[in-house]
Amino acid sequence: MTKNKPLPALLAVIDIGTHKTVALLGQIIDGKARMLSISERRTDGVVKGTVVDLEKLHVSVHEVINDLERVAQRGIEEVYLSISGPAVEGERVKGFIAVPAHDGKVTNRDFQEAMLSAKRLEPPAGRATILYMRQPTMLDGKTVTNPVGMQGKRLEVNFWRVAMEEGNVRFRVNMLNGMSITVRDFILAAHAAACGVASEAEKQSGVLVVDCGAGTTDWILYYKEHILCAGSIPVGGEHVTNDLSVALRISRETAEDLKVRFASGLHRDTDANQTIWKDGDKGVGDQQFNRGTITQVASLRFQEILAFVQKDIIRQLEQIFPGHAVKLDQQFLPAGAILTGGAANLAEAAEAAQLALGLPTRVGIPKFETENMRKPEYAVVIGMMKAAIEDAPPAAPRRQGSMAWLRELFRF
Amino acid sequence: MNPQRAILLVGLGGAGCSIVARLVPTLPAEVNVALIDTDASALGQPTGGEILQLGRAQTRGMGTGGEVALGTTSAESEEPALRRLFTGYTLVVLVTGLGGGTGSGAAPFVATVATDAGATVLAYATIPFSHEGERRKRQASEALERLAAKAHGLVAVQNDLLLLQVSKEAPLSESFAAADEWVAGALRALAGIFVPGALVPANPAAVRAILATPGSPTLFTYGRGEGAGAAMAAARSANECPLAHAPGATTKVASLFVAVTGGPTLSASDAFEAVAAVRMRFGGETSTLLCARVVPDFGERVEVAVLGASLPMPKPVKKGKGAKPGEEHQQIFGFATDESLRRGLFGGTPLTFIDGQDVDVPTYIRRAVRLPAGP
Repeated sequence: MTKNKPLPALLAVIDIGTHKTVALLGQIIDGKARMLSISERRTDGVVKGTVVDLEKLHVSVHEVINDLERVAQRGIEEVYLSISGPAVEGERVKGFIAVPAHDGKVTNRDFQEAMLSAKRLEPPAGRATILYMRQPTMLDGKTVTNPVGMQGKRLEVNFWRVAMEEGNVRFRVNMLNGMSITVRDFILAAHAAACGVASEAEKQSGVLVVDCGAGTTDWILYYKEHILCAGSIPVGGEHVTNDLSVALRISRETAEDLKVRFASGLHRDTDANQTIWKDGDKGVGDQQFNRGTITQVASLRFQEILAFVQKDIIRQLEQIFPGHAVKLDQQFLPAGAILTGGAANLAEAAEAAQLALGLPTRVGIPKFETENMRKPEYAVVIGMMKAAIEDAPPAAPRRQGSMAWLRELFRF
Repeated sequence: MNPQRAILLVGLGGAGCSIVARLVPTLPAEVNVALIDTDASALGQPTGGEILQLGRAQTRGMGTGGEVALGTTSAESEEPALRRLFTGYTLVVLVTGLGGGTGSGAAPFVATVATDAGATVLAYATIPFSHEGERRKRQASEALERLAAKAHGLVAVQNDLLLLQVSKEAPLSESFAAADEWVAGALRALAGIFVPGALVPANPAAVRAILATPGSPTLFTYGRGEGAGAAMAAARSANECPLAHAPGATTKVASLFVAVTGGPTLSASDAFEAVAAVRMRFGGETSTLLCARVVPDFGERVEVAVLGASLPMPKPVKKGKGAKPGEEHQQIFGFATDESLRRGLFGGTPLTFIDGQDVDVPTYIRRAVRLPAGP
């Protein structure tokens, strides 16, 4: 990975989802991205966020890269990849030092040392570390924002370490290397979604972002500016489609269509009085259904997904704050929850999430130049672009000297 | 053929015995009844039929306590008595609840004995409710696989689905009553073919031939209609019978047997129309047998029962030391029983468990929520 190099002039981000692969190519001018091309293709070979057919996925990604290059008329050398799904696992790692100074003052060096001692812990065999997320730092058992200059004996630094199966990482890197493209860095999809839709103020006060995609639902929780924890559940919008196709005995395509048009996050008893037509022309092959069945099946599944998310969050919070009764409510997260991903398009999704999570919820619409990209399902890919720019080290000063142009050419 | 020894309805295990005991009052005279269980107290239910207690040496009149191995040995020790019981019957309908010890353990063996005695065995097995736990579910699916290889036809009914058929407030007995009616109705129709005097008679041997091969995917539905257009209403209701719509159930078969029973107003053309409607839904391209009967006390009522089967799909040959000799000739098992088929579009993908539930199974099935009726 090449993330420690300064930002290139062209920045490409790819979000490989269960249902579709979306990519953006932007030109970076003064730390701002100007969109050159956008590509969106149906993903093949991914089920519930897990890759099942490498070759098909390879073809999908290749098509997306080709689209980007063709429209922008430039070659892509580096990309950021999103990671999400059950293969990604978070774990809390802890590093600490006894403050060596005789007056007990923590120096910057002690702080770095403590961080290093946390990062030195190896992930379990067969897993590769993707990224570290800072968690509250403790000095003698008290939470501090910045320990440098404070007095104490024992400095404890916590990280949320995101690790992924090594093979899974390697194959993603290899797949792109095979197209002569290097992977600059991985970005956690939920983190990207949060960058796309949540404001700094919201992150500061505490916010939950739930990205409900086709195959997986990823969530991330910000608390006092830090990423506190993140997780993923292998259930998503595709499951709503599946339930409808089982309940109504219809094909996947019909179920998908009915879901988009008639499903809802909430079920009302009055829905059962409505009869809806599949095509609406009452022609040959048209079928009628009870709308109540559709809303009942969809709302049960959708609210269950969010209930699983809530359970997962509380389980992780209990690990982080052992011995405290953790409650997921507005007092803990004043900014509430933001819902993104394709499933956020479901009618009354925010209301249903409010009911299931017990938090005020809104649907997150990313800010973007083009109108048709301002949809919750593009929050991840748009957020990735933002996260990539924020994440990169400041541009290196231009190299001086008579050989500068030569150095630039051969990159030594 | 002696109609007195045509059909034997066997209740096996606790659940099987109680289903059969509930069915007895509605059965025609041609159906003989037998109860088989390890638990002596379950055999005390009044059925007027034969009674066989298994494993007197092993369990001493108590149940098996959910031990499959105990159920199997109990049945094996009573082999001569079982053989005597089945001798002479053309069709044996084995009703059992899988998941416990006697049902899961003894059913495959009992089916084998009945087959060896020359009977065609149609098994009707219920699969435990999801909330009965992983162990019972696992025992049930293992037993189902073994039973499918032995019985000529197998109908598996998910108990979870029974809950979906009645209203939320309905008593539990009502949901079972609906399932009982499907079985009783279909049994009445099957019994009918052995009684002379049908409007359109069917050859019992031909009906047996539909279920000739053990392990074939089986279709079994029942419907009824009343008043004007009763025959068509009954056919529609048979088409929509939940037994045929359990996720993963057999929905297209090669051979069909359709029995139409009605009052004096039933005409042959009504019967043929009903058969055509059933064929539209379920196939039956290879052969369709029709049996139409007029029963005076049916009045305006018409019942349609459908029994169908296809030739089993060839099973992929197992390799390695796990494969037993002769196993490559066994047939694949292709119906609602396979857990993966309940999972719809996710069938065949790796299982995902959260809190011990397979989350790919639709939420409304796991929570047994009744859906609003169709339009």
